Amino acid sequence: MKLTRTWLSVVTVAVAVIATACGGSTGTTTNPADQTGTLTVWLMNGSAPQSVIDSVNADFNAKYPKVTVKVEIQQWGDIGTKLDTAFGGSNPPDVIELGNTLVAKYAAADALENISGKKSSFDNSNTWLQSLTDSCTVNSKLYCVPYYAGSRAIIYRKDFFTAANVQVPTSMDDLLTVGQKLMTAHSSDPNFSALYFPGKYWYAALPFVWDFGGNIATQSGDKWQGSLNADGSQQGLVKLQSLVDALSRADKTGDEAKQDAAFAQGHIAMIIANGWEVGVITDPKAGNPALKDKLGAFPIPSHNSGQTAPVFLGGSDLAVAARSKHIDLANAWIGMLTGQKHMTDMATVGGVIPNTTSLLGLGTGLNQVFFGAAKNSRFVPNSKNWASVENANVLPDMLVKIFTKQQTIPEATGSASSRITSILNGGG
Amino acid sequence: MGMAVAAPDLEPVPPFSPSPRYRAWLRANILPYALISPSVLVIAGILAFPLGMLVWLSLQHYGLRELIHHAGDWVGLDNYRAILVDPLFHQVIVRSLLFTFACVALTVVLSTLIALLLLKVRSAVRILVMSSLVFVWATPVIVSVDIWQWMFDYEFGVINYLLTQLHLGNFIHHNWFDNPVQGLGVLVVVVVWGAIPFVTITVFAGLLQVPNEVIDAAKVDGASAWHTFWYVTAPLLKPIFLIVTCLSTIWDFGVFNQIYVMLNQRPSSDYFTIAIYSYRESFGVTQYGLGAAIAVLMVLVLVFVTFFYVRETVKVAEIA
Repeated sequence: MKLTRTWLSVVTVAVAVIATACGGSTGTTTNPADQTGTLTVWLMNGSAPQSVIDSVNADFNAKYPKVTVKVEIQQWGDIGTKLDTAFGGSNPPDVIELGNTLVAKYAAADALENISGKKSSFDNSNTWLQSLTDSCTVNSKLYCVPYYAGSRAIIYRKDFFTAANVQVPTSMDDLLTVGQKLMTAHSSDPNFSALYFPGKYWYAALPFVWDFGGNIATQSGDKWQGSLNADGSQQGLVKLQSLVDALSRADKTGDEAKQDAAFAQGHIAMIIANGWEVGVITDPKAGNPALKDKLGAFPIPSHNSGQTAPVFLGGSDLAVAARSKHIDLANAWIGMLTGQKHMTDMATVGGVIPNTTSLLGLGTGLNQVFFGAAKNSRFVPNSKNWASVENANVLPDMLVKIFTKQQTIPEATGSASSRITSILNGGG
Repeated sequence: MGMAVAAPDLEPVPPFSPSPRYRAWLRANILPYALISPSVLVIAGILAFPLGMLVWLSLQHYGLRELIHHAGDWVGLDNYRAILVDPLFHQVIVRSLLFTFACVALTVVLSTLIALLLLKVRSAVRILVMSSLVFVWATPVIVSVDIWQWMFDYEFGVINYLLTQLHLGNFIHHNWFDNPVQGLGVLVVVVVWGAIPFVTITVFAGLLQVPNEVIDAAKVDGASAWHTFWYVTAPLLKPIFLIVTCLSTIWDFGVFNQIYVMLNQRPSSDYFTIAIYSYRESFGVTQYGLGAAIAVLMVLVLVFVTFFYVRETVKVAEIA
């Protein structure tokens, strides 16, 4: 009896001590060191260098030694289908990298965890890039953490410019003049393009639309209205078509997938490209390393001399699946990858634009041009139906019709606009 | 069964025991069904269940939100109504039927010619041709279409290079997919190339079964090679032609991989065949109900188109 009472009091004290010790942790009932399970992470091909992933996992496992992290790399090609089926199933991956144009679709379908309340727990959340934050925000709620961005500029051959005695253009008209001089200088080469522009390259067409005050669609209240047929949009496309007609021998029905391989072959003076494409062009296997010192970059010029055109800000966000069984662990992992330490690596090792304006100074050399371009960037209509516009190929089809002259600009933009209006407002 | 056989020796027929006549009836009428029922159940599970699910899905509004919540909205025949008034669907059906006709006709004619050629050549050549055919057949579609895509590439394609070198015109930077008619022509070539091995080998196997005496008799009667083929060989091979034509029609009508891969997973609507159209509506625009309805219509069209072949095949089988 006496022994039992003593024993009981020991237990009571022990419980009290443990309870006090745990009281400090944030809401979780278990110690990080005791958490178990497998965290599945889907990252996209080419997003983070392996060294960064390894370093994030090492830091994560230092805190959560009993949690296994499984990072699976996905391909961009059919990611829409794969995401639909994964979110439709009962066991989706816990952390998912989403292209910034896809977030709205999945957030609106309740596939993603609302993390509005946790925003301040992520590093640099006050200085996140505005358009990535916008892409994560649906109906004023936050559904993902900005991961990295990419914006396009013009990569050019410095040696070609020197040989043709031309300078970096400062306006769109200047771009045409410079291009024509390059075409003349290379008139003996039937494969030469001064500005190589594949017909379906809609990311690179948008700066022209935006620069003249045009847009893809405008929103008033709940309704979207396609506006590619508005005056400004059409002026931009007229300008682009004149450049393509005069300067490009690229496939008018092709996409940009092969532009780096084409550039590396040496018959191209300029392409509109992401910063990381410099690495593809100079890759010893896929490209031509000899071009390393011959490459330069400059922002896409505006039609107003001395200014630059707004560019499309591509990029990725990291979200947690609403059906994830490890929501806290998933947020912790995302917090590490998007935190100060690993974002610095992403910018310096990965060469991508980090998720915060406070780190934009890390861009050096050519990267500086691409990092700078992100400051004047725009985004596609932030609607849950935007992904359907992309998947229905509305913009690429319109551009192909224009460049191949199957339709005039008013015809092609008219039908694309009505299609966009219909899809964005929930029709097919 | 052992009990039933042994029982009559022990005592007179018990009142509840089936009579021999009844047992014979049972054996003739029930036993075959009992024996086939496991496989019917398996086939029903594998084929009928998904088809039933497809029909069920086609009667609902089923988007991404419904997919995630596992519940669609019942809309009756609305999906079908939406498709049947869509002018794009009419174009797609006509395009698919013409494409299928071109592919099947070319496949069967070319395969028959190759099979007839195989009869005439030396065995070494025959082995060479046969192994090339098997090699083509064994190549995964995605891999071979990737290679075709590079061959027809706008910038780096060997076809443009060769045609230019052969002085057949200036094909530098010739875009094969600029004009959809030409582009679909290229796709017909790719599909037919992939379809020839199976049909050739099947027809060749059939040709080996044609008795030499019949051919010799025709020759003695003074029939030309064409007449011999048309009046003697072809009728004997009718069952084989029916089967390969029917199968080719089914395969070519549902063609997907070749078009999808050849056009970089982003075929423009000028290249939509019915399978691509269904996929685009389902997975591209996340309207699974609409996509399912298109797939159901595709099955119905196919049933209608192949009905003739199947009926003829059954007739031939009954005569045999």
